[in-house]
Amino acid sequence: MTTPAAIQNSLRGDNALPLRPPSQVMDLERLGALHQSRLSFMRTLVRRIMRERWQIEPARFELDAEGYGTVVYEIQAPHGLYSFVLFSDYLSPDERNDRVIATKWDLTMALVEGQVDDTYLEKLRQNVPKQEAGRVDARVFVLSRANRSARNFDYVVDQLAAGQQPDVDRIAKVGYLYRTTAVYGSGKLGMADWEKVRAKHKDFARPFAGEMFVCLMLRNFSLLQAEHIAAHKTPNTFKPMQPQIKRYFGIGNSTGLGMAPFLVNHPLLINQWIEMRELALARVRALGNVNSRVQQELSTLIERCAQHTRDTVTEDEWQTRNNVQVLEDLAALQSHTADGFDNWNSLLQWSEANNSLQGQEMLVSIMLEIYPELVDELEDYHDAEEFLDLDPLMPLQQLKQVIETRYDWALATDFTAEGARETCWYRSEEKMEPRLGSVADEEAKQKQMALGVGYAVSKCYEQLCSYVAEHPQHTTARFMVARPKMRGIVRRIQSMNRCVYGDIQANLLDQNILPMHLLRCKLAFFGVGKFDPRSKLWVRNTMFQGAPLLEDIGKPFSDDWFMPLAPLQSGQL
Amino acid sequence: MNISMNELKASLRRCFEASSYFVGNYEDAANMILWLEKHGLNGLTELERLLPFINEDRDKPLSSVVYEDSTSAIIDSHGRSALNCIAASVDLAHAKALENGIATVTVHNCHNRMFILKALTDRGRCGISVAAYWQNGSQTVTEHAAAIKAGERYPSYSEAVTNLPANTDDKQALTIICSSRVDLTASLQQSKGNRNARYISAEQVAENKQHSVENGIEIDNDLWDEVNRIGTGVLVENTELSRQGAGGR
Repeated sequence: MTTPAAIQNSLRGDNALPLRPPSQVMDLERLGALHQSRLSFMRTLVRRIMRERWQIEPARFELDAEGYGTVVYEIQAPHGLYSFVLFSDYLSPDERNDRVIATKWDLTMALVEGQVDDTYLEKLRQNVPKQEAGRVDARVFVLSRANRSARNFDYVVDQLAAGQQPDVDRIAKVGYLYRTTAVYGSGKLGMADWEKVRAKHKDFARPFAGEMFVCLMLRNFSLLQAEHIAAHKTPNTFKPMQPQIKRYFGIGNSTGLGMAPFLVNHPLLINQWIEMRELALARVRALGNVNSRVQQELSTLIERCAQHTRDTVTEDEWQTRNNVQVLEDLAALQSHTADGFDNWNSLLQWSEANNSLQGQEMLVSIMLEIYPELVDELEDYHDAEEFLDLDPLMPLQQLKQVIETRYDWALATDFTAEGARETCWYRSEEKMEPRLGSVADEEAKQKQMALGVGYAVSKCYEQLCSYVAEHPQHTTARFMVARPKMRGIVRRIQSMNRCVYGDIQANLLDQNILPMHLLRCKLAFFGVGKFDPRSKLWVRNTMFQGAPLLEDIGKPFSDDWFMPLAPLQSGQL
Repeated sequence: MNISMNELKASLRRCFEASSYFVGNYEDAANMILWLEKHGLNGLTELERLLPFINEDRDKPLSSVVYEDSTSAIIDSHGRSALNCIAASVDLAHAKALENGIATVTVHNCHNRMFILKALTDRGRCGISVAAYWQNGSQTVTEHAAAIKAGERYPSYSEAVTNLPANTDDKQALTIICSSRVDLTASLQQSKGNRNARYISAEQVAENKQHSVENGIEIDNDLWDEVNRIGTGVLVENTELSRQGAGGR
C-alpha cells in the first residue's frame, strides 16, 4: 500500500519518477484527447463496490404496469447505510428536453443518508421531482434526473415482451435506455456539502463518487424497469434480458458548458487528478515489466480499443475524423509491436512521434490497464484541499521568475492579436446557465466570468514588472497592499507553482477555443465512453457501459470492463 | 430557511461580484462571511449590517501605507470594509514577522473588522501565529480580541461591552500582531466595567463548525432574497443570441 510520503517522493526530488512535463500534459488539446482509464471514477467506484460486496436491496418497489411509481433501494456499505430514492413519472414526448433549463423529467432521483421512512419519503416526493425548483436538506447528498431514450426504450420493451432479446448491433449504436441530464451534489439545492460527505460518508469520500453511484443505480433501474413493463405487457411471452446483453447497456449522459468553468475554478483538484494519472504512467514506464504475457495483453487491448472505437457512432465530423485517426494509430501501434518491444519508454516515444494526441493518450490508458498492481492504489489520492494560499514573503523577483517559468505559455500569447480576447464566458439569467458569447455583446463582456487565467497572468506580469523596477526589494505582501486587484491571480500563481502540473495551458478567451476539450477532459476522468459531440458546446456520451450489474455483486469480478465490446448475440459464433 | 454552505458561498460570490468587488476579492469576501457563520460567530448578522453600504467601497481609494519600517506598518483603509482590504494587511504582518520574528500592523478607517477572523485562520494554517484587537461603537464601546496559534486550524475570540467613553475621533482602528517565533493568545482582561464578556475557545469554534457541516446554515428569508437579488447583477439577459451560446439545439 502506498502512502502520501511515498507519492510525494515519486513526484518530486532526487527519487522522482520520470513524469511527463507540464508543457506537454497541460496542453488543452491533449487534455481533450484523454480517454477513460482504470483510475476513472466509475472504475474506482465499481471496484470498491465489488471488493467490499455492498448489499443493495429494494426496500420499496411500487411501480405500476407502465413503470411509474416509487422505488427505494437500501445500500449497506462498510461505513454506513444509504437510500437511493427514485420517482418515475409520466412525461409527454414534447416535454422531454435534455437541456439544463428543462422543468420535468421521466425519472428523478436522490441519494440519502440512512433509512427513509414514509414521512421523509413524502417530503422527498414533494421536492425531488421538481429538481432546481425544489429544496432538500442535508441528509440528501446527490440529486439527479434522467430522460428516456424513447425509441430505444420502447424497442427493448417490445422485444422482451415478445420473448426476444434486443439486437446487439442496435445497442452498439445507442447503448442506453435513459440519459441523465444533470447530476447535482456538493450542497446544491440544500443538499449536504462536500465537506460533510467527505468527513461523514466514507463510502463516498472520493470526488464525484456519490454522483457516479447515482448514475450506476439509474442504469440498473433502467434495465429493471424495461423488464418490469415488458413482463406486465405480455406475461405469457415475456423473457428477461440476458445478463451479458444487460451489461452492455450503460447510461446516456449529456454534458454542456457547465462543466467547463469547474475545471478552471478547481485548479488544485484538477492538478491532483492529473498528477495521479501521470504518476501511474510514470510507474508503468519505470517499473512495468514487459514479458510475453504483457505483449499479448497489449495486443488484445489494442484490438479491443479499436473495436470499441469502430462501435462508436457519431454524426459529428470532427469526432468522426478523430475516431478514424485513432483507428489508424491503433493499427500502426499493433503493427509496430507485432514483433515485440523492449520497454514502455521507447514505445511511448514512438507513439509521440507517430500517433495523434488521441492515439497517444489511448496508449497511456492501455498501459495503465495492464498494471493494476502499480496503478489502483492511487485511486485513494484523488481529493485535494482547495486552498489557494498567498505566500506573502516571496520576493517579487522570485514571483516574476515563477511567472516566466510556469506561465511561459501565457506570456507567449499575444493578447492584443485579433480574436485573442474575442470569447467571453458568462452566466445567463436562465437558471444561471453558463454560456459562451462574444465581447461584441457589451453586457456579456461586462459580466463575463473570470476564466481567462492566461490573460490575467499576463496583466499581472506587466504590473509586476513596472512595480519591481521601482521596488526591487519588496515582498509579495507589500505588492498586494499596493496592487490589491492582483491578489486573486497572484495567489493562484503561487499556489499552482506548488503543484507538479499547475494550470491548464490555454487561452480560454480565444475566438477559436474549443470548450469540448474541457468537457472531454473531465468526462474522461469520470470514465465515460462513446463521445458524440452534438455541437462544439455539448456532448453526448455513455456511462457504465460494460460495468457489472447489481446482481453480479458478490460474484467473482475481473474488473475488465475497459472499452467494452458488444457481446455476441445468442446464436452467433 | 436552511441552505448549504456552498449555496451561501456561491450566492455571496455573485453578490460581491455584482457589487464591483474584483476577481479574487469577491471569493475572499464570500469566504470571510461564510467562515464566521459556519463557526458560530454571526457572519450573517455582520452581512446584514454591511449590505446597505455594499456599493460604497467602489468609489473609495485603495488602502495606502502611511508608515512602514521593518517590524511595523500603519495602513489607512479609507473607510473600506475589512472584506476587501484586511487580508492584505494580515499578509503584510505575516511577511514582516517571518523576517523579524514579530511584527505589528495597525489598520485605520476599516469597517466590519470582525471579518479578520478568516484571514487570521488562513495565516495560522500556514504556520504563523496572529492576534488582533479592536474596539467598536460610537456610543457604547465594545472591544474584541482574536488569536490563532501557529499551525492551528481555529482561532479563539473574545468580546466585551466596556464602560469606556466613546471616542469622537474614532479611527475604526485594528491592531494586528504577528509572530513566527511566539504563539500569541488573546483574551480580554477582566477589566473593571467590562460586561457581557464572552470568550470562545478554539475548541468551541471547531465544535460550532461541526454543527454547520452536519446541518447546513439557517438564514433569514429576506436576507437570502436580498443577497440573491444583488447577485442577479452578474447574470446576462436571456436572448435568442444568448441561447445559441448555450450549445443546445
